Amino acid sequence: MKDVESLWDLFQKRNVSRRNFLKTCVTITGILGLSPSLISDVVSAAEKQPLVPVIWLHGHECTGCDEAFIRSQSPFASDVLLNMISMEYMDVLAAAAGEPLEHHLQEVMKKYNGKYLLAVEGAVPLNDDGIHCMVGGKTFVHNLKEVAKGAAAIIEVGSCAAWGGIQAAKPNPTKSVSVSDVVSGKTIIKVPGCPPIPEVITGVIMHYTLYGQIPPLDSKGRPKQFFGNRIHDTCYRRPFFDSGMFVEKFDDAASKAGWCLYKVGCRGPETYNSCGNLRWWNGLSYPIQSGAPCIGCSANNFWDNDPFYNRMPNIPVPNTIVNADQVGIVAAGALTAGVIIHGALSTIQHKKHHKETHDTEKDNE
Amino acid sequence: MKVRTVAVYYVFTIWTRIFHWLMVGAIAVLFCTGLYIGNPFYIGSQGVEPTFAVNNWASMSTIRFIHFAAAYILMASFIFRIYGFILHRGDRMLPKPWTKLFWTGMLDMGLHYSFLRSEHRPYLRNSMARAGYGGVYGMIFLEAFTGFAMYGQINPNSWLSKLFGPINHLLLDEYVVHIIHHYVAWMIILFVIIHVYMATRADMSEKYGEISAMFSGVKFYDKEPDDVGDLKE
Ligand code: HEM
Ligand code: SF4
Repeated sequence: MKDVESLWDLFQKRNVSRRNFLKTCVTITGILGLSPSLISDVVSAAEKQPLVPVIWLHGHECTGCDEAFIRSQSPFASDVLLNMISMEYMDVLAAAAGEPLEHHLQEVMKKYNGKYLLAVEGAVPLNDDGIHCMVGGKTFVHNLKEVAKGAAAIIEVGSCAAWGGIQAAKPNPTKSVSVSDVVSGKTIIKVPGCPPIPEVITGVIMHYTLYGQIPPLDSKGRPKQFFGNRIHDTCYRRPFFDSGMFVEKFDDAASKAGWCLYKVGCRGPETYNSCGNLRWWNGLSYPIQSGAPCIGCSANNFWDNDPFYNRMPNIPVPNTIVNADQVGIVAAGALTAGVIIHGALSTIQHKKHHKETHDTEKDNE
Repeated sequence: MKVRTVAVYYVFTIWTRIFHWLMVGAIAVLFCTGLYIGNPFYIGSQGVEPTFAVNNWASMSTIRFIHFAAAYILMASFIFRIYGFILHRGDRMLPKPWTKLFWTGMLDMGLHYSFLRSEHRPYLRNSMARAGYGGVYGMIFLEAFTGFAMYGQINPNSWLSKLFGPINHLLLDEYVVHIIHHYVAWMIILFVIIHVYMATRADMSEKYGEISAMFSGVKFYDKEPDDVGDLKE
């Protein structure tokens, strides 16, 4: 893409009708979680705002977020990539590769210094001087810091960039950390999820493109319009929760009837994401709708909160599998027995002592 | 017959006593409803639509409501506690680890409870009890903070969430807060078992009126308690 222009410019250049342009704006307004009264704002922004150059880096990760991103339906990822933003560098989708691509990155950084949006996917491994993730012959942590310097804002795409992700699971051999752990002094937007919902990724980029500023964030730095509620509070199985109707096992009648998955480990009550309202693949379904409890993939440390299909973690006791309630009942029982024995011994000692003092008192008389 | 001459010590104000029994009731309710919330089951007749089942006398929704109501009562009861604390020295018998008496008293009680010393010195409140009560207040605050941190997230934009929400970020994420809340609930119950036993034991063997003091406010001593300085100048 040559130079930065607006969305409307692009539509005109490609001979797409005004009507189609307006339709696109309405879709965007909806996706961004804005009220319909703001459509005119979105239209005028789309007419005037120059498209944002985006650099997309890949670190320690599985590229699953890309897989999600390219399946974005509204807006289509292809639209986002080709029409709505100027994606200047994305190693996994670029036609070019190798030195020319890395060279291009350097040029883009110079040309749009202080203006480009940096999307980072993947954690940053720090152990052994960062050699566990190398891109273009340099460590990822080096690349990241270099590109971050000139970024207007940074989006942490996915749970790896946002929290460290699977590779940060205990004992975290590569010492993988989030982007915000190594980059400071920059505006950072967290878009966690493993992967994040495609429309959420594109939605955040679109918001920045249209408004030239980042969306309102919650206290953890996540965009409120997509992470403002717990899955639990938007879950269509919630009536079953409130009524106490739970799936006990994956093949029981309750699971077939679609009852609440709380007791088979659902992390919906602790997880913030849009799965309940946006769902996946253009509203087709999402884990809970498919009968699988939420594993909390957009929550920090979800990877270590195992077992996923139990509500509570097990407590390490040799040779058995027990949870807090079982340990608690045994401990309370043992303690009760203990105090009863202690009480009996105390009584014996008390009687003996009493007799002794009684005797000495008598002697003194 | 031998006559026991005792002096009467006014230890607890009515406010602390009211607080104590409100707290006992609230914690009993909180623990039972809390365990249900952590591991619920269906109460009521089968084959009812959730739309109607939610009105069952003991649906998850009702039991959560009772849990939260009891939590508010527990919090409100602290108004009495604080009032008594301000009013009366006897309501301020804190653990004082900077004093020598605290540590000699601790040793004294340790030896007594492990049957190595048949009698311990008289105290208004012995060092172990002081440390224990300090601990249980700590646990109740922990329950309140973690509880309200979870509760406030029903509406992440509420002032309650602004106040307590940051607790959810202190240790990794909200899941950990549920676990802490659940584990500490059990620890409070373990405390209760020891506490009830110790109070009964003291009441039976020492005749200071340990249990009745939480109703009447007074204790009886034939020798002056070592920590009487906490009650009188
Ligand atoms: C003082 C204020 C308290 C508040 C505001 C509070 C609030 C809460 C909340 C919001 C939950 C989670 C409910 C849910 O996930 O749907 C909960 C669960 C629970 N509460 Fe409390 N609570 C308080 C005190 C206590 C106390 C004193 C105890 C016990 C002695 C207790 C025991 C429990 C237990 C065992 C659970 C289940 C935990 C789980 O499995 O997630 N709570 N409480
Ligand atoms: S399935 Fe999960 S998110 Fe849905 S109501 Fe049950 S516990 Fe909450």
